[in-house]
Amino acid sequence: MTPREIAEALERRAVVLDLRQPRIFAAGHVPGAVSLQFNRADLAERSEMVLPKDVEYVVHAEPEPIALVAAQILRQAGFEVAGHMAGGLRTWELEGRPVERLLVVDVSELRANLDRYQVVDAREGYEYRHGHIAGAILFPSREAWMRAAALSSRRPLAVVCGDQVRSSLVASLLLRVGREAVLVAGGMSAWLERGYPLEKGVPLRV
Amino acid sequence: MNFKQFRYEPLAQASYLLGCARAKEAFIVDPIANLGPDFYVLEAADLGLAVTGVLETHVHADYVSCARALAEMCGCPHYLGQAAAGVVRYDFTPVADSQVLQLGQVAVRVIATPGHTPEHVSYLITDAARGTDPWYLLTGDSLLVGDVGRPDLAVDDSGLAIMDEALRAEAQWRSIREKLLTLPDHVEVYPGHYGGSTCGGVNMSGKASSTIWFEKHHNRALAGESAQAFATFVRKTAKPFPEQYTRIKSINLGLREAERIR
Repeated sequence: MTPREIAEALERRAVVLDLRQPRIFAAGHVPGAVSLQFNRADLAERSEMVLPKDVEYVVHAEPEPIALVAAQILRQAGFEVAGHMAGGLRTWELEGRPVERLLVVDVSELRANLDRYQVVDAREGYEYRHGHIAGAILFPSREAWMRAAALSSRRPLAVVCGDQVRSSLVASLLLRVGREAVLVAGGMSAWLERGYPLEKGVPLRV
Repeated sequence: MNFKQFRYEPLAQASYLLGCARAKEAFIVDPIANLGPDFYVLEAADLGLAVTGVLETHVHADYVSCARALAEMCGCPHYLGQAAAGVVRYDFTPVADSQVLQLGQVAVRVIATPGHTPEHVSYLITDAARGTDPWYLLTGDSLLVGDVGRPDLAVDDSGLAIMDEALRAEAQWRSIREKLLTLPDHVEVYPGHYGGSTCGGVNMSGKASSTIWFEKHHNRALAGESAQAFATFVRKTAKPFPEQYTRIKSINLGLREAERIR
């Protein structure tokens, strides 16, 4: 799809599904795009877990062969896919179309400024209970599409998961509903690698 | 780090994916057109990695490469030994002996190993996440498992045919003995070909991995005492030339239109 066709699709409330790496997604994406990890083995399964089927999607992946395969997988799973972005973000930007960014913090920055953020843990309950950042609220990625609008805080929402795949999805959904969300680079594995403290126990829910 | 070997069985050819899980980047080594650029892009994407470099050990004579197409698709460099400069008819990023290509925490050191072809290089991999010692070696068509890459295939262009067969056999002998077998014993060996491939002799194993220690002790092609004995052994144990190799080589040199051969 050309940038114009995508802009038209967005006007009829289509959702851009951005399958690029979280870090690349963070650096610039089509406003409102949802970040999801590509993988041929389980893209269908994970999409069904986190995304609704009564929405029209436009696939954005680079290079193009990934987008073609992803569109096929999603259609087979019963999603309505209008098409994929031709030429990638470069073509979109060359036409002067708007680009949205997702701020990224690394774990040392987060730890030093923990009081300035509300940490949002996008993992599942069993992972959260195993150990999480003090003060983090449990907000599993599979519920995020439905519940993003219900999450609010005076502080920016620092979204974390095991690495940065589910956190990128949740952060993108929070951006869509106008929240101030930032992505924690490297996630809990980076946090643990630095030997930072964990809190265990009962989830804090929204 | 990530590591994946792709075996294309009809040609007993091996290509590789090296990845840094932290940097989310991958290098593809010796991609084959029979699998095609889409194959490698999707394999990397399945691991959450973007292809940021395409490396070749040499200009191949037995299969059509898709290195140029893959590098173009991914907008990344196509690395080839610097001796290919002025010989191939396309742009590439030349790599020299001892040069290090960084892939996140993974260091890929270039070792010039002329012999099979003059521009041939091997790639020695060290993963800083594991340790400072080199871990494994991608040997292309220099050191093979149980055999060596044949030194009699540089053809169809004046530039690469500068050395005669005896001189190239000697170069292969010196490259392998002096530059590869001198690496630590524990270093793993991953070749560009295995088994029935026509790029090596009859003693090549169907197992596409080994170690420096094992090849030092059990590679029959390297058991002799002199370059001359080596050249004789290699000639005696050689297979027929690869089918259409002059045509394939000229495609890979950019002298002919790239076309897919199946």
